[in-house]
Amino acid sequence: MDRRTVIKNLALIIGGAALLPACSQDKAKSKVALKNIDITADQEQLIGDVAETIIPKTTTPGAKDLQLHLFVLKMLDDCYKKEDQQAFVTGMGHFADQSKKLYSKTFDQLDIKTREAFLLDIEQEGKAEEAAAQKNGDKKDAAPATISAGKYSPELKKFYSIVKRQTINGYTNSKYFMTNIVVYELVPGRYNAHFPYKQKQAV
Amino acid sequence: MSANTYDAIVIGSGISGGWAAKELTQKGLKTIMLERGRNIEHIKDYVNATKDPWEFPHRGGRTQKMIEDYPVLKRDYPLNETNLDYWASDKDSPYTEIKRFDWFRGYHVGGRSLMWGRQSYRWADVDFEANLKDGIAVDWPIRYKDIAPWYSYAEQFAGISGNKDGLPILPDGDFMPPMEMNVVEKDVSKRLKEFYKEARHMIIGRTANITVPHNNRTNCQYRNKCWLGCPFGAYFSTQSATLPAAMATGNLTVRPWSIVTKILYDKDTKKAKGVEVLDAETNKTYEYFAKIVFVNASTINSAWILMNSATDVWEGGLGSSSGELGHNLMDHHLNVSAYGRIEGYEDKYYFGRRANGFYIPRYRNLNGEKRDYIRGFGYQGSASREGWSRDIAELNIGGAFKDALTEPGSWHIGMGAFGETLPYHENKVTIDKTKKDKWGLPVVAIDAELKANELKMRIDMEKDGKEMLEAIGAKEVQTSSTNPFLGRGIHEMGTARMGRDPKTSVLNQWNQVWDAKNVFVTDGSCMTSAACQNPSLTYMALTARAANYAVDALKKGEI
Repeated sequence: MDRRTVIKNLALIIGGAALLPACSQDKAKSKVALKNIDITADQEQLIGDVAETIIPKTTTPGAKDLQLHLFVLKMLDDCYKKEDQQAFVTGMGHFADQSKKLYSKTFDQLDIKTREAFLLDIEQEGKAEEAAAQKNGDKKDAAPATISAGKYSPELKKFYSIVKRQTINGYTNSKYFMTNIVVYELVPGRYNAHFPYKQKQAV
Repeated sequence: MSANTYDAIVIGSGISGGWAAKELTQKGLKTIMLERGRNIEHIKDYVNATKDPWEFPHRGGRTQKMIEDYPVLKRDYPLNETNLDYWASDKDSPYTEIKRFDWFRGYHVGGRSLMWGRQSYRWADVDFEANLKDGIAVDWPIRYKDIAPWYSYAEQFAGISGNKDGLPILPDGDFMPPMEMNVVEKDVSKRLKEFYKEARHMIIGRTANITVPHNNRTNCQYRNKCWLGCPFGAYFSTQSATLPAAMATGNLTVRPWSIVTKILYDKDTKKAKGVEVLDAETNKTYEYFAKIVFVNASTINSAWILMNSATDVWEGGLGSSSGELGHNLMDHHLNVSAYGRIEGYEDKYYFGRRANGFYIPRYRNLNGEKRDYIRGFGYQGSASREGWSRDIAELNIGGAFKDALTEPGSWHIGMGAFGETLPYHENKVTIDKTKKDKWGLPVVAIDAELKANELKMRIDMEKDGKEMLEAIGAKEVQTSSTNPFLGRGIHEMGTARMGRDPKTSVLNQWNQVWDAKNVFVTDGSCMTSAACQNPSLTYMALTARAANYAVDALKKGEI
């Protein structure tokens, strides 16, 4: 990694606001510098909308405010295998198609409730498949699980699971979350083994 | 006295090398410590130690590039973004695996003392007597009483925090105040003791993190970032403890980038006269001379150096006359764990990141019990509340989910077993002349595996973990037993074992090479058996003891 990339990365992760544009000339490209994947501005927007549905802006900043979709792309670009990156891109296409097919609208045209219902439906299908696979795994001589005949392709589910995982990773490890939402201290200086805790009202 | 002549040479700068340098210099010997890798200066070079989690581009994870560059390290947790520079390059320093052996190395000043787990336990007589009682391998030439004062000496200087638990299997030491168990661990500990009628115990880990200020070192600040190097010097490392003490004497020279290729053996005096060094930066060869040589290059590399030395006298190298050099490679076998949920305590949490957990000392094959295997195992673990990675039912996206992420989840307890590995003559390292490292040196070939005794023990390690967690009331207990391979314990031992007879051991009771009395080997290679406790404290004690003997013998003209 060269120095310039390091500086960009640092800018990306420190707060997010100081993000340096990667290709300011080319408006159609993603804002974040990527080495292994090619993402258009529209696709970046879609990832941002999915991330924002997972971690929405409430009284506190949401995924887009914290630029978590760019963190998702950074992680995808550096930390995932080629086949996962390909599945992600393919799955992103399936996701956009599926939105049109099921709701006759692009994802960004859907209202919040519908967006949530869409994502939860994908999660549910994934979970049901996992449960079935586990059940099959318990039976020694069971035939291998058949290819999913559900609404969503394996690539679509891969796309969604990577976006979700890295959005949450980026959120809970963001400076905003760790300094404003939970109490993180670089140097705690003590260990309190009996810290009293009161569950917040929200949950 | 030529510029390359010293009283003593120490090969290696990790836990035992640092101790050797400290002891020898404090006793007045002009000493050079040779380290194969780069220098890492205390505090100044701990480049990631004061970064916040969000300052790591991948939040501490691993990139595909790292996975490609580190084909061995990638096999387990050490491959990560936060201290990548502390791990030796698998590509520069390859080795041959006749059988899989996960070798995780630190090639720099301080060695693995910068990344070690810091758990520090004494051995008991049951450990030193084990080989004799079981009739396997060879008997240790020492007993607990021989090493006990040196344990105290090592603990007092290193700074070991712990509780005096009064358990015969795990002798108490000279401890600093212990760290505290959290509220769940305290209750679980009580329940375990009751359930097993005081036959099993869960104690707070004894760790080389100081809990009160000590020798210009600041006490532990509960950051739990120990393997990045501690800016407070709160955990024992060469840099935080032994190196400054040795430097303060004015007797120490440290030479980084110095790969020792062989010990120079003098046939006439039957002693070593020095070492040959390959400069890792310039590829030039140098010779250094001294009256005594301490070999502390870590178990496998110490064997490699000895096997490369005096080959004109002994084909298998210095110390090979017994036929045991490079043999009896041991580790602790890991990767058996148990995990469960603890109900209640929702109004309790903890603050600060304790760099320590609990310990369940060995209880098997004691007091007359006979399992279908010999020796035993211990567990290390902790109880904590789950974080964001948990599955929050029905609340998996959206505003309510976002709120839920700010709440700690339920309490869980997890623990992993550390099993004793027996010394098998067939488990060995040799030199593979067909493969060369970056410097053109032949590499080691490792040929070692777990055998029936360990595999049977692993069944108990898994079964007992489940039984104990269920006994203390944990719910949804899950166990896992994977990767039954050596190396992952990062506790390599045994390749130049101590013994009572030069025909069956490489070293005598003072860690002296039988075949060259001024060569002392005091790292993990000297171990005659492995016990199941973390071994570094024992290396510290053995090193201080051997150095004391060496300087006495030198003064008396015996070596």
